Amino acid sequence: MNCLLCEQKLASSPSWQLLLAIENTSLICEDCSKSFERVDIKEEDDVVDQVTSIYTYNEPMREYLHQFKFLQDVALAGVFANELRTELARKDDIIVPIPMHPQKKIERTFAHVEEMLTAARIPFEDLLIKKNTEVMGEKTREERLAMRNLFSIKPGSDVKNKTYILIDDIYTTGTTLRHAATVLKEAGAERVEAVTLIRAER
Amino acid sequence: MTKPFNPAIRDFLDGRIWLRMHTPFPCEEIDALLDAGDIQVIKGIESKPSFLNQKRHLCNRCENEDSTRFTTFNCAKCEGPCTYCRQCLKMGRVSSCTELIIWKGEKPEYPTNHTIAWQGTLTPHQQKASDELIESQNKRASHLIYAVCGSGKTEILFPPIHKLLTEGKRVCIAAPRVDVILELEPRLRAAFPDTKIEALYGGAKPTMEASQLVLATTHQLYRFRHAFDAVFVDEADAFPYKADATLQKAVQKAVKPGSPVHYVTATPSDKLLSEMKKTGFVSIINRRYHGHPLPVPKFIPLWNYEKQIRKGKLPQKLIDWTENRLARKEPFLIFFHHIGLMEEAEPLFQLIDPRIRSVHASHPERKEHVQALRNKELPGLLTTTILERGITIPNVQVAVVGAEQQIFDKGALIQIGGRVGRSADYPTGEFILFHNGITYAMDEAKAEIDKLNKGGVRT
Repeated sequence: MNCLLCEQKLASSPSWQLLLAIENTSLICEDCSKSFERVDIKEEDDVVDQVTSIYTYNEPMREYLHQFKFLQDVALAGVFANELRTELARKDDIIVPIPMHPQKKIERTFAHVEEMLTAARIPFEDLLIKKNTEVMGEKTREERLAMRNLFSIKPGSDVKNKTYILIDDIYTTGTTLRHAATVLKEAGAERVEAVTLIRAER
Repeated sequence: MTKPFNPAIRDFLDGRIWLRMHTPFPCEEIDALLDAGDIQVIKGIESKPSFLNQKRHLCNRCENEDSTRFTTFNCAKCEGPCTYCRQCLKMGRVSSCTELIIWKGEKPEYPTNHTIAWQGTLTPHQQKASDELIESQNKRASHLIYAVCGSGKTEILFPPIHKLLTEGKRVCIAAPRVDVILELEPRLRAAFPDTKIEALYGGAKPTMEASQLVLATTHQLYRFRHAFDAVFVDEADAFPYKADATLQKAVQKAVKPGSPVHYVTATPSDKLLSEMKKTGFVSIINRRYHGHPLPVPKFIPLWNYEKQIRKGKLPQKLIDWTENRLARKEPFLIFFHHIGLMEEAEPLFQLIDPRIRSVHASHPERKEHVQALRNKELPGLLTTTILERGITIPNVQVAVVGAEQQIFDKGALIQIGGRVGRSADYPTGEFILFHNGITYAMDEAKAEIDKLNKGGVRT
């Protein structure tokens, strides 16, 4: 087995966590894993009650995201499985991935956030629909703030008076998360938090 | 009756194997040529059932068959399990539902008028090797030029390449490392001023012309198929080519069926040498172009160097050697086996002279530092094996720290020594192997250099 990022041979050390399948076997080598820089910040927002981000958006992370999303390397979905599972090891909150527009999903051939959750064996509910194909990364802050809500609730789904946790790959200005939280709250969610893999500066 | 089409599409696609969705031409034009039968579509990944419900996959672009280099996932486009190849991922993903296209229409015709502007003359050794290579090409047989570092290998290729070009043939020079391609490009452009030349490497933009002479990293040949009448592989023993079966296949796939692949190297592997003796021809040059012998390595023990450097102390012998070079104003290269150790040593060397720098493969200022060494703005560099070949600096002195490390195999040590004494003005120099115990590789490297200097060769 080679590291999925640098192709170096992986040195696997047996442990009881691995044996009991509490942890997944690491897909990347120690050097690559060390190159990602943790931030572990929790931020509050007027709509999203709490946003937790795990990593900074440094150069190795930029490369990872590029290879995963744009070079479409689905195998990389599991690279942060252990970290995501640790972060989401919570009782009965409901996990909701930020969806892609169906057309975009076909173009990319997979939905990256869902793939990350699946690879981490985290159960989730597909509650949201993305209404347009606009790409956040191409917009200015003003344009983002002026947008109409990007999401709607999937017809026939039941939003309870509970806590929902939104999952996205990257948190930049928070527009995406705020839009998603707004529709969930309007549909009856009591509290909406979010966990993102990366916190980017804007 | 054939409809007129954009000849640029033919010129671009001929000999290439390309992603249908990523051509630099409008979709409608490609579709029209598909209907006319000038372009053929090939499946991206070929999957065959294998035992125990497993599947065997083959990537039709890079011909990778290693099952660990494929990933299968649930594809939203083809709505089912879809497999993609991770081997050639960086050139745009090829998956089960990806379409590759190849040119099947009439072939472009290449000009036969080419000037050779190179003014030098070949030494008798070079001339002989060059003639032998032409003879092999005429027989469509593979040829190995086994010539010591600094014997002028590139020049040997000029006459055979010129002959092929004037016959209207298409030629490729491939090398595993981009540095080698970057070094070759200006030399070949100068030598063949009337020829359409294209250099392909990661990040280079392909020209839309029908280039008759293509310089490419071996990786780029994943994208070619039955394109060339001859491929010359320069530095055939360098990483990653020698350890990567898919790159070797890519080279074989890039030549037209029945056309030869030629090799050029100072340090052929035993495997290549014996293979070429069986199936092809070998020319050997054991003299440098200036006629002086190769520098013989000197072994100097440097016990526990790693521990000392990690503790923040440079071994005295290393300090002495460096100070000596500085005092004599001789440029120097010090090779390390590991980037981490080198970077720990860098500040210690800077205590001796603050201008000393280090370089490695992904160092942002790698090119600038090497240029600064050439310009004598830096007295010396610490380096990984990245500078082991292809670099010529007059009067450079070389030391290896940790010559016993596995990465320094016989070939690497001979190549490193090959940096020394390359120019006729400074035909000798220091070639020190600082070690923590002598390995077979070190002994073999020394034995081979001695043998070459006595006029013998490895057989």
